[in-house]
Amino acid sequence: MSLVMRKSPIEYFNAAKWIIRRECRYLSNLPEVAENSEVVEDKPPKGRKPRFLNPTLQYRHVYPEFLPDPNPKFRNSLREKLERADMLKRRSQVDIPEFYVGTILAVTIADPHAQGKTNKFVGICIERKGCGLRAEFTLRNVIDHQGIEVRYELYDPTIQNIQVLRLEKRLDDKLFYLRDALPEYCTFPIDMDPEILPEGSPVPVNTVQVKLKPRPWLERWERQELKGVSNIEEHLKEKDRVRRELRKTPWEKFDLMKDYRKTIPIEDQTEIWGEVYNQLQQMRVSRKKMSKQRTFTAPKTQLG
Amino acid sequence: MNQADITKLVSKLRIKVPPTHRRLRNPLGPEGRLNKLRKTVTGLIKYERIELNYNRADEARQYAERLISEAISHGDCHKPTMEIADFWLLEKELVHKLFKVLVPRFENSSSAFTKMYKAPKPAYARAIEKTILELKGNPYPSLTTRQPNNKLLLQNVLLDAAKYDYRQTKYAEIAEKMSTPEETKNPDS
Amino acid sequence: MASSNLKLLCTLLSRIRVENVTIKRNLYQPPKYRPPHWYMPKERVLTDDMVTQDNRDFIDEVRQDKLNLQTAMESPLSKIEPQETVQWNPTTRRVGLIARKIGNYPLWTKSGKKVQTTLLQVVDNHVIKYIPPEEYTPAKDYKPKKVGKYRLGCMLVGSETIDPTTVTKDYCGIFSSVGMLPKRHLCRFHVSPNAQLPTGTPLFATHFRVGDYLDIRAKTIDRGFQGVMKRWGFKGMPASHGVTKTHRRPGNIGAGGEKARVWPGTKMPGHMGNRWRILRGVKILRINTKHNVLWTLGVGIPGETGAMCYLFDTVLPLKKLQTPPPFPTHPPAEDLPLEYYDESIHLFEQPSITFEET
Repeated sequence: MSLVMRKSPIEYFNAAKWIIRRECRYLSNLPEVAENSEVVEDKPPKGRKPRFLNPTLQYRHVYPEFLPDPNPKFRNSLREKLERADMLKRRSQVDIPEFYVGTILAVTIADPHAQGKTNKFVGICIERKGCGLRAEFTLRNVIDHQGIEVRYELYDPTIQNIQVLRLEKRLDDKLFYLRDALPEYCTFPIDMDPEILPEGSPVPVNTVQVKLKPRPWLERWERQELKGVSNIEEHLKEKDRVRRELRKTPWEKFDLMKDYRKTIPIEDQTEIWGEVYNQLQQMRVSRKKMSKQRTFTAPKTQLG
Repeated sequence: MNQADITKLVSKLRIKVPPTHRRLRNPLGPEGRLNKLRKTVTGLIKYERIELNYNRADEARQYAERLISEAISHGDCHKPTMEIADFWLLEKELVHKLFKVLVPRFENSSSAFTKMYKAPKPAYARAIEKTILELKGNPYPSLTTRQPNNKLLLQNVLLDAAKYDYRQTKYAEIAEKMSTPEETKNPDS
Repeated sequence: MASSNLKLLCTLLSRIRVENVTIKRNLYQPPKYRPPHWYMPKERVLTDDMVTQDNRDFIDEVRQDKLNLQTAMESPLSKIEPQETVQWNPTTRRVGLIARKIGNYPLWTKSGKKVQTTLLQVVDNHVIKYIPPEEYTPAKDYKPKKVGKYRLGCMLVGSETIDPTTVTKDYCGIFSSVGMLPKRHLCRFHVSPNAQLPTGTPLFATHFRVGDYLDIRAKTIDRGFQGVMKRWGFKGMPASHGVTKTHRRPGNIGAGGEKARVWPGTKMPGHMGNRWRILRGVKILRINTKHNVLWTLGVGIPGETGAMCYLFDTVLPLKKLQTPPPFPTHPPAEDLPLEYYDESIHLFEQPSITFEET
């Protein structure tokens, strides 16, 4: 590293004078060196206040599939626009409710091979993936001591109805460890009744910690820093603990560009939400009206 | 097609970001790569203008921009941001500089925070491409001496004349348009 | 003395005889590269001209005026009476389009099946030039046919307007003769003489119809130098069981004896991709007339997202056009429906699919 100065001596002199002046100003701004950074943290926020954020940005939690794939190789503004328009058209036909990983859902689909031509499945959502019209979610349940997982496409027109039975979140983003957990953690009755949350209340977080069955496991759960598992240490050997330490990547949370390449920046998001906000809001309002009407009539459940 | 990460909110960088990162070979792997870049980012914040190889400069520039934009958006009372600043700035007095000098400097800017120039390299030599990376608003004299606003350059003189002619013909057309409808209207009335 | 010497020389010369002539010549003469005669160098070295901001604005203004003129230009097709146009017959060849691949997403059929589609956007395509078959001498032929032997003429089509200051003056000249700003892509299509179009005709996505089949020509994704496993799909060798250093290698490439050489065409490592390829018989499922976007069945269209591709009517005998398409092209119309769908496709704004009990 070197300072670059390719100028005539007079300019050099002038610049030096200017630097000295600027340096003095910096020094006046700088606090004493003895003051360490911890003190700065404890200070109350004086001049610097957090920036105003657009409230529509909160929609990203409810409708994550409206955000495109951040990989620039797949980005195209027109395709994304057409895709979002198609998604809104489909949402106007079927009520796709707000749900998260950990929510218990009942999904009814049209199935030409089923009795009565419809099929209903109840289960806990263990994964939400994909963006745009490819968005998918996976439901898991244990039926007759047999674990069953069904992956549904969110915008599949054969879906007749998606009903939220219990709206809640879990501690982790993906619940694949339920496959290795004791079966009672993902056993739900098929004729489960929907639990209605009081209006305006935040989505509750279920802090239950599941117990895993003894090994062998499908994945190395001990390396994934899971919060929703209680007895992971019981099943580990010394070898696994050593390898877990070796595989840790503590520097990854400081890799700012890695985070950046995984996300859609605020400026792009505000544009997207500005485009779809009104229609989504209207759908929400109409759904609320519908749910108020529905409280008087008991919903019939169809069994496949 | 993967879902975007929604746990974090970042503001958009004003520089061009390549789709993937550079490897910047290092025996320590990705950790060593970040260690390399930490030194460069610290140097950039400290000296405000440095000369280095192109690949490393371009990679470090992205990290420096991200660091400053994080500092601007969260301020110095946000613990994760402070941890990030602590990681990236090896000399701890630079943390103060970041939050107290650079953040006010770039708070209201609408362009990138850094600037990169191609550095001259020896002629007839197989030298690695060098660049100069600097923070905007630095106290050093400008690196470029060009005067884009020189009105007396030949091309500007010629363009001025062309502009004059173009405007004249345009006004003449407009005047003609204004006059013709009146003529057509008059016979009607 | 002098005459005797001359005599001697004459007698000597008369004895000289040419028995046979052997001219050593390389039998293979590579065809000389001749660029197409409309070719003009396009790339220009961009320099900083140190123009003042005022003058830069002026240049922008002139360009904007020209662009406005171009958009306001009426299609020459609207002047022609519909009776004058020639009727389509199965042997005629229509002009194609230049499109940009903008991504993939799924659609669902009415039977509930998911199909992957590729979106192709037709960005302001215009006819730039027509060369009748009598004057057309393509450069690619090794032995050019005699002038007038060609059955098909050549039509130049350009797409995507660009800033004229970024390309050469010669390249701009091709377009300014038609009254247009230069285009990023210029491509030739072989067309029947009765399918010719006047210059400056805009081409839209409605040039094709829903349910028709296309041939799509594009450059495949450039994958660089690749081994045989990726390039040719070889199996490789086992990961263990005593295998050393030959996990992804091709193995044997030939026998000994007379065949002790590498036979031409042996599949070996090398550069993969970045070649022109044609995917034939791609069905159109949906057309958006506002943005000029075509939804085509399948994801096999060469090139990455953002790549250019050329669309033609298919030549496959079973998928050829059966009924007359818009001929010579679809004229610009205001009152078109926003979207056309194939009858097999489920519309997103229709109610969910249900199956009837039988």
